[in-house]
Amino acid sequence: MKIELNSEDELDAYIICHKCHTLNREVLIENGSKALCCSQCGIVLYHHDNGFLDRGLALSISGLIFFIIANVFPLVQINILGSESFISILSMIDSLIASGYYLVGLFIIYLIFIFPLMIFLLYFFIFYLMKRGTREILVGNLLILLARIIPWHMSDIFLISILVAIVKLLGIADIHLGVSFWALIIFVLIDIYFTRNIHLRELWMLRKQVYQLSEEEAPHVLG
Amino acid sequence: MYSVESDELISCPVCEAVNIDKRQNNICRRCGSKIYHHRSTPTEKSWAYLLTAMIFYVPANLYPMMIIEQFGSESGSTILEGVIELWNHGDYPIALIILVASIFVPIAKFIMLAYLLISVRNPLNNNTKINKHKVYYFTELIGPWSMVDVFVVGILAGLVHLSSVKIVAGAASTAFALTVFFTLLAAHAFDTKLIRGSR
Ligand SMILES: [Zn+2]
Ligand SMILES: [Zn+2]
Repeated sequence: MKIELNSEDELDAYIICHKCHTLNREVLIENGSKALCCSQCGIVLYHHDNGFLDRGLALSISGLIFFIIANVFPLVQINILGSESFISILSMIDSLIASGYYLVGLFIIYLIFIFPLMIFLLYFFIFYLMKRGTREILVGNLLILLARIIPWHMSDIFLISILVAIVKLLGIADIHLGVSFWALIIFVLIDIYFTRNIHLRELWMLRKQVYQLSEEEAPHVLG
Repeated sequence: MYSVESDELISCPVCEAVNIDKRQNNICRRCGSKIYHHRSTPTEKSWAYLLTAMIFYVPANLYPMMIIEQFGSESGSTILEGVIELWNHGDYPIALIILVASIFVPIAKFIMLAYLLISVRNPLNNNTKINKHKVYYFTELIGPWSMVDVFVVGILAGLVHLSSVKIVAGAASTAFALTVFFTLLAAHAFDTKLIRGSR
């Protein structure tokens, strides 16, 4: 198939499916819940709606709040043979390191604490700066950093692991779930919403759209 | 005015922008990242990571994953023993999750990555019936699941450390975490642009 272009910029209208590598052409879709799917394998390639920026900003702030609650408050209250203790995610990691498992401990700290926190901070700053329409280059750099961290994100797997661990403990201990457990569930749900609905390509396209608009507006404001 | 064939187009691995393949020194027009192409050693790095992952997978299965210290006595269990224990205990869903996540997923990833690495170097062996991009996509999709057991042991070791009962992460947990880590690196180092003739 031959493609005629006036400039390389027009390539933005094309998408190579990340699942099957079929070349798809972007079609403008009406504002709403519709999404464009790959012509070969049917996977969702992008969504389109106007509320994207505001919802992304609101959700990244709520994600950060629930993440903090999930890490500060006790995850479970556990009672084994009469001895009782409250355990939070951070104290759990701390005792793992203290018992000498530096490598596993470090790996887990990155996967369940540092990377999720960074991802949500990046989302927040990207949406916030785009909302204000400033710092185009910084937003680009943040998007590149985001793309490098996303493959290491596994909060959903961590939540399932907590459930498995709790079931394993049910036989030998009394367990009461703490505030942080519920906060973690909400955080993971927001996280899943982000991975499913916000594709990197859409963020780059939004960036292009936002800063093009502000460039066009600038002379108008001055004049 | 440009005129390009659709198979001269490649997507940037960082920002997914569609770029024209200039054969050498490809730099993404949108984010400025290098898009590697035609390296002299296209699959060696990925092979090295994959073999390292496979080597660590052996001790991961032979040594205990989790050790329970109770009233001075220790009992450890390997991944497979843990699964059997859960099964006998009647925790079927949990036993299945661990079995799939710790045994099936890593082995499936090894086989799929090895298949991709071998097949892209053998043009004669080019099987167009299997879409290799989909195979790669699938390895990425199932990859994180192999972390479940490491997380579970980490959580249990963090939760249960009382004077009477203590759960300790065994040597296998370190080996297993390294397996997962190197498999992720191997998948990441695999150059999907080596896949041809699978459209
Ligand atoms: Zn597709
Ligand atoms: Zn790029």
